[in-house]
Amino acid sequence: MDRQEILEGLKEILQTTRTINQSKVPGITEETDFIADLNTPSTEMINIAAKAEQKFKIEFDDDDIDGLGSKVKDFIDLVIKAKARA
Amino acid sequence: MQSRERKVAVVGMGGAFPTCSGLADFSEKLFSNKSLIREWDEALAHGKNIRSTVSGFITEAEMGLETIYSTIAENYPETYIDKLERIPDANLATADVGSIWAMLGSLDAIKMAGWTSEETESEQTGVIVGSGGAGHVILRPAWHNFFELGRKTRVAGSHNVDRAMVYRDAANVSCLIKNKGICEAIGSACATGLGNIGYAYRLIKFGVQDRAIAGGVEGTSLETFIGFDAMQVLSRGFTPQESSRPFDVNRNGFVCSFGAGIVALEEYELAKARGANILGVIDNYFNNSDGDGNMFFPSFAGQKRLWKGLLGNSGLKPDVVKVHGTSTPVGDSIELLSVVDTLGEEGYHISAPKSQFGHMLGAAGAVEFVTALLMLQEQKVLPCLNSLNLNTEPEQFQKNEGWEGPVKPLAAYRDLLPQQSFAKKINSIVCLNYGFGGTNSAIAVSKDNA
Repeated sequence: MDRQEILEGLKEILQTTRTINQSKVPGITEETDFIADLNTPSTEMINIAAKAEQKFKIEFDDDDIDGLGSKVKDFIDLVIKAKARA
Repeated sequence: MQSRERKVAVVGMGGAFPTCSGLADFSEKLFSNKSLIREWDEALAHGKNIRSTVSGFITEAEMGLETIYSTIAENYPETYIDKLERIPDANLATADVGSIWAMLGSLDAIKMAGWTSEETESEQTGVIVGSGGAGHVILRPAWHNFFELGRKTRVAGSHNVDRAMVYRDAANVSCLIKNKGICEAIGSACATGLGNIGYAYRLIKFGVQDRAIAGGVEGTSLETFIGFDAMQVLSRGFTPQESSRPFDVNRNGFVCSFGAGIVALEEYELAKARGANILGVIDNYFNNSDGDGNMFFPSFAGQKRLWKGLLGNSGLKPDVVKVHGTSTPVGDSIELLSVVDTLGEEGYHISAPKSQFGHMLGAAGAVEFVTALLMLQEQKVLPCLNSLNLNTEPEQFQKNEGWEGPVKPLAAYRDLLPQQSFAKKINSIVCLNYGFGGTNSAIAVSKDNA
């Protein structure tokens, strides 16, 4: 699974996240910041992470999630890391 | 302690009512003597495991809502969609169904009140809204996924706490309307609805706030229903429309129902100065406890003290007493006798709105306060539906040594209990509500005669 596939999968998750402005979802890139650009409530990140675990058939460590950055590329890095560990 | 100069006006109302499209529909059905109680398919689905199957329930679809279930947690409502676009998605994400009803009722009440955004968002505007039960609909699947299915805590997501915390209704309303004053919830079981309004009244009366959104909520929840069903205190054996029958000799329990009642309160002179339509003026609020150590059994002495605290030396004699009137065997008889012992045998009427929509638990006092405002507005008394036959024999407790109340049987007071709505000049109404734990609440509300 390459980074673009993960990005597209992440966009599908964000389309079900109703606290995010949906008009911004199609334009999301790796440089998009969840907090600054999408106004994602900080509490929503754990919902996105849990859905990502299901979608990408992975399991994050609690330490990974605690140290997660706010950019989309940070999230993709985390998915790749978890995939490699699986 | 109270400021004699400050009075409190009711300037708006709203809510969620079973089978009703809104407040106007609710009013029309009530004054047409209709029942809002139905067979509940959710209860029926559990067959013999549930005794009672009737309720004044409200579905998501009836409120223009759709539940979005989680794709990762079994049967877990992830959020709700407001198909009528009244509530923003971000607010829906932090709300259980009851909190959504509270938000919708608040928007209606504020619109009716005519408050500006500046007034609504003021430091002088409070939100005092409470609920009787927990956020069961959210909590049950969350706990099930963790404890029974062995899933991680994060599977339940980050909106488990905000949608189930005790003051979730107040918090969600406050986040929606962005008031900067007090935001709290009062909990007093089935007196919760009136308790929140009473507390809000005191905040304004004592000069702490100028305005408040206040009320009570009980979101539709089979979990709540099951709790009371297990206690064998719910009505059974009648058609849905005949199940809630306060004061009738054949009553055998209450109908567990759901709803929301929200009112907008404002310091009287402020409301007058801006030309607000004043729905009623609160004369007084009083609450107390039985003090007899009994969690469930109603107290004649406690209710007598309630009346004394409410009326004091005011000389007020209400035209209507809106009773708690649950349709439980002992509760109704104690209540009727305490009313009669206080006000006498004539000169007023008794209204029991639970006869039409059941017992809304934490919402009861607030929704029934709304019915009192409707009675003032329509100048009609709401009935004690299904109070067909009253006991012609004294209650057992009336024969006990030491009983200090009226000794006549309930049938002696037939003329106080109308079986149909009727027109009457109404200047003042007293509303009564009680709750488990021996808590008693009473409020007196009058027409604005200034």
